[in-house]
Amino acid sequence: MEEQLLDLQDAIINGSKADAVELTQELIALHADPQTILNQGLIAGMTEVGRMFTCGEYFVPEMLIAARAMQSSMDLLRPALVDAGAKPIGTIVLGTVRGDLHDIGKNLAGMLLEGAGFRVVDIGVDAGADKFVNAVKAHNAQLVGLSALLTTTMMHASEVLTALETAGLRQQVKVVVGGAAVTPEWAAQIGADGAAIDAATGAQLCKELLAQLNG
Amino acid sequence: MNGMSNRDRFLATMRYQPRDRSPLVDFGFWEETIPLWHQQGLPKQILFTYASSNHIDYFGMDFGIDEISRTTGVRMGLTPAFRTSVLEDYGDHEIVQQGDGVRVLRRKFMGSIPQHQAHLLTDRASWEKHYKPRLDPGARGRLPKDWAKRVEHWRDPNRAELLVLPGGSLYGWIRNWMGVENVSYLLYDDPTLFDEMVTTVADCIIGTLERALQSGVQFDACGLWEDMAYRAGPLISPRHFKKYLVPHYRRISDLLHKYGVNIIWLDCDGDISLLVPHWLEAGVNCMFPLEVGTWGGDPIKYRQQYGKDLLLMGGFDKHILQGSQAEIENEVKRLAPLVEEGGYISFCDHRVPPDVLLENYCFYLAKTREIWGHGVNLRPMEVITNRR
Repeated sequence: MEEQLLDLQDAIINGSKADAVELTQELIALHADPQTILNQGLIAGMTEVGRMFTCGEYFVPEMLIAARAMQSSMDLLRPALVDAGAKPIGTIVLGTVRGDLHDIGKNLAGMLLEGAGFRVVDIGVDAGADKFVNAVKAHNAQLVGLSALLTTTMMHASEVLTALETAGLRQQVKVVVGGAAVTPEWAAQIGADGAAIDAATGAQLCKELLAQLNG
Repeated sequence: MNGMSNRDRFLATMRYQPRDRSPLVDFGFWEETIPLWHQQGLPKQILFTYASSNHIDYFGMDFGIDEISRTTGVRMGLTPAFRTSVLEDYGDHEIVQQGDGVRVLRRKFMGSIPQHQAHLLTDRASWEKHYKPRLDPGARGRLPKDWAKRVEHWRDPNRAELLVLPGGSLYGWIRNWMGVENVSYLLYDDPTLFDEMVTTVADCIIGTLERALQSGVQFDACGLWEDMAYRAGPLISPRHFKKYLVPHYRRISDLLHKYGVNIIWLDCDGDISLLVPHWLEAGVNCMFPLEVGTWGGDPIKYRQQYGKDLLLMGGFDKHILQGSQAEIENEVKRLAPLVEEGGYISFCDHRVPPDVLLENYCFYLAKTREIWGHGVNLRPMEVITNRR
């Protein structure tokens, strides 16, 4: 079974959807623990994909085919995970801020966050502060990811922070901002907890912030 | 050097030859910027649209990059384009079927890149049915109706007009037609089809360029567009880039060189660092707009890295225009030695955003006219013309 898990990891890293599906089916048939399949196969594979993306070995297409392989595998694994009572490592509400319709960066971040073991609640584009607040409440999220591509829409990220504060939720969630013009300095200036330079570092940052929150 | 035309000045600059001063050029504004500037005192008649670009005259620029790229009237893209129509109207938003076959959700009063909702190009069948037939270089409409008349005028070797041919796009168009995700999957799911698409597009570009170049007009430059990078680097790996795209850039530049067009610029936003050596190797020798703010692109560093082989345009951090006048003046001065050296035409590293005050933009213009333009042979400012 150890060998199949390593093969599954490789299938994810290589973005081979067919292999990932076949290996997941095989592992389920062998009654492998679904949480182990998730952690040692899928999450381990996507972690390596994230590392390769960050260090410039992988680019957007390689990340996308890896995420697609992982999602196909997850579709098979999900019922077994539910039966086993497995839980995601955390929940993040992800959206593009008001005034901004750009979603590619957000979608890539969502894929890697899922690959890191998070439940991702994607509230879409042009999302107002209320939508973020309501989603945090509805899904009991620990993290909020704000995407803003443009300097003129970035300012709406601070509206979400204010709304979370007003709703009394700010202490229970960590907020990460991402987008073309976002910098760590700007994130600190508006009171966010971190800035994601790209999708892979964003997923890693979310894991670190979650650990702080669970601290 | 009195009386240098835009053409003389542009060519002298890009050839590192003596000239009266550097060209003073503009890359335009976000759609919201000009209306906001109207509230700040810009005369209401001054517009920046496809139909009217009288801001160039008003701000005393030599030419605008957008405008100069359209001068020849040569049409590279899908011909005929798809019919555009508004499918749904949501007040401040609308769903539009674009001329490139993509259905998008967009804000009426821009402010954001539209969100792709559906693509007509999804597979080989849709490629062959809808797109391939629109990439015929011999199609009617590739050259303007008055082409013969234009050619007659342009054949004059002493003409003043700067003529820039459009060079199309090898990846950017396909990415737009399919969306980033789908074209990324295609690279792995059906690389043969991807290769065929790029080759067809390249054949169309080359065939169209050839029709224009055979007219006997000496064109001055060719401008390609890609936008295939973001803040963290290119959208595809340099390996894929080299395998699928570089051979076609080479074909395009070989053709242009054959007809004496040796300035080939490439408009690509985002961090292009990993791709520049490959473009340069393929004969694409001028990069713009060199976005500074998003990833730290710096024309001075590029010149240090590539020497005079790499021509540069843009590279003035537009975000500095939001700062103090001292910061603006410092940046104009910092870039001045490179402007002076030649092979570089400085202007904002993308369109000027609405959070820049008109007062600051005018200060920037005044400083560029004084420091880069030495106050020599400048066009007058604040002259209102109506070009429609």
